Amino acid sequence: MSLYTAILPLPVAVPLLFAALEIIAGLSRRSRIIQLQKVLSLVALVINLVVALLILSFTLTGERIVFQMGLWPAPFGITVYADALTGIMLVVVALLALLLLPYATASLDSSRERLGYYPMALLLLMGANGAFITGDLFNLYVFYEVLLMSSFVLLALGGTPSQINGAIRYVVLNLMGSIMLLLAAGITYGTIGTLNMAQISERMVDAPYGLQALIAGLLFVAFAGKAAVFPLFFWLPSSYHTPHPAVTALFSGVLTKVGMYSLFRTFPLFFPDVLVAWQPFIMTMAALTMFVGVLGAFAQPTIRRLLSFHIISQIGYMLMGLGVALTPGPYGAGFGLAMAILFLVHNQLVKTALLAGGGQIELEMGTGKLSELGGLVTARPVLAVIFFAAAFSLAGFPPTSGFVGKLGLLQVTFSTGQYLVAGISVVVSLLTTMSMIRLWQYLFWGKQNPQLKPRPNLARPATRNLMLLPAAVLVALSLLIGIFAEPAMSVVQTAASQAIDRAGYIEAVNPQPAPTPAPAVAQEVTP
Amino acid sequence: MTAVMLAVLVGVLFASGTLLILQRGQIKLILGMGLLSHGVNLALFGTSSLTRGAPAVIPHEGDLATILATQTFADPLPQALILTAIVISFGVTAFIVVLVSRRDAVTGSDLAPGELASILSTADPFAAPPVTAPTPAGTVMPDAVDDYDLLQYELDEVYDRPQDDAEAAIQ
Repeated sequence: MSLYTAILPLPVAVPLLFAALEIIAGLSRRSRIIQLQKVLSLVALVINLVVALLILSFTLTGERIVFQMGLWPAPFGITVYADALTGIMLVVVALLALLLLPYATASLDSSRERLGYYPMALLLLMGANGAFITGDLFNLYVFYEVLLMSSFVLLALGGTPSQINGAIRYVVLNLMGSIMLLLAAGITYGTIGTLNMAQISERMVDAPYGLQALIAGLLFVAFAGKAAVFPLFFWLPSSYHTPHPAVTALFSGVLTKVGMYSLFRTFPLFFPDVLVAWQPFIMTMAALTMFVGVLGAFAQPTIRRLLSFHIISQIGYMLMGLGVALTPGPYGAGFGLAMAILFLVHNQLVKTALLAGGGQIELEMGTGKLSELGGLVTARPVLAVIFFAAAFSLAGFPPTSGFVGKLGLLQVTFSTGQYLVAGISVVVSLLTTMSMIRLWQYLFWGKQNPQLKPRPNLARPATRNLMLLPAAVLVALSLLIGIFAEPAMSVVQTAASQAIDRAGYIEAVNPQPAPTPAPAVAQEVTP
Repeated sequence: MTAVMLAVLVGVLFASGTLLILQRGQIKLILGMGLLSHGVNLALFGTSSLTRGAPAVIPHEGDLATILATQTFADPLPQALILTAIVISFGVTAFIVVLVSRRDAVTGSDLAPGELASILSTADPFAAPPVTAPTPAGTVMPDAVDDYDLLQYELDEVYDRPQDDAEAAIQ
């Protein structure tokens, strides 16, 4: 067992261990205990980031890491699996969680801290990491539930009426998605006879097309619902603006993106034929998602509502990448998927930066209404610059990561011959730019509202700087990806070629052929 | 025959669960989610070929291949899956029940603001609004309030309080 195999379960184990310690510590009623929770969270997140970086550095060489839990051979035990796509997602999510920790410590009110923000954030991270590294369909469902349960708690943390209303919508719609996922797992086991992803991939291609389409449809509904794809996105704008801004920023970087990751992981692996056959359908959904999302954003009166609609719009671009996933490009096979992964990473960085920056304004000024805010450029020049860079990265201006991602996606969509969808994506980019200019103008230009005074608790320089930290680092990373696009391209291309290489996945996991079961006919016994 | 009955039962559970979810009112929503979870659990149960009178135990002695070929066993895996799914859906249902009762407590209504409930509940849409007694401030939310104002109200409460007061309020 090499070092990398040994550390593979750590992205799940470390957050779980530290969250448990924090919950035990939280039972004490002393006020110092919150400080202890912060330190424990910091330690856990740093370890998690180091482990994620190690996994990424190893998988980028083209290797795969496979670990059979309990050393049961593959399809009997649960397989834990990592390739470059897993590594990228682990690193980005670990980075976001680490950066949002100082943001949370600076801005959270003491009642939310006491109700357990820090352990819940760690459990959210654990659920996301588990969904990334699992190699078993049912296990994926379980980790989705871990992710969702902690997100339910985070969403309702504070218990204000708007939060509870948002949380009920969110819980119900996500529960429907989970039921679909469970049903898909059940049907897979009943027909294909396995839940191990490698073995599903091995057997699914020989299954009749109708069965493939049924399972693919159920999985698509489940994951697309979590990723907020049209027409299953309504839970997102009705809940994302309600919790504390630190929670919204964390959600925007983790929740919908895990759904997208699962689509990227399962579709090329299980259903390469369905992916080709459904290209028109997926492209239509992508176009509708991006268009409806950006139009919705124009109607929104507050910062975080506007940005939540942009989350939906950007999900459309990733879905467009999934539709053309198998199209080869200048860097090799699976160029479409590579661009979709690049866009996913770009979006995680930039969207979290925007929501962190916007949330900071909202908290400090006490309102997020665009009509009331204005003229912040003199009071908060640094935030204005960072927000400007993030907004234009989202819109896709060079030299940011948004430009690289959108250019690659457009190129591959054109080469597939999907001219209409490519055209719509260009129009949506234009509309995104308009919406971002409108947002920035409302926030930073114009006259300051004399009635709005910054809250003294949050306007201290130390607090402001801590809250600026995540947005600043994430925008810098977005610029770095934009400027050094060539290395970034080769990284995502490695990930994509591993993700579409079904034979490599099967060989790495090496599932044993199951012994033939007794024929089902002889099993009916009359009592 | 058993399989057909199971399939019909799953269908009925799914149909009634969907119907209940589409109704207005949160208790029906909870019941509907429960029925849907039961439906999917039974569907999972049906994924193994239904076996009667045979336990999910394989004897330890003897050659595994011949035992598997000659004897019948219930498939243990779907049972394990259902057990996991039941526990998860139980937890989520408990969470929704708490959420709904909290909503009841803070808004004084089983229905969310903005759900058109106040309009739909009156039979005659052109009837004059009923005269209600003024409610004491701070107990019941007016039902026409925008979601965002509720957040606004809450943030003011928390952040305008000096830090020491907030600490003292919790202790």
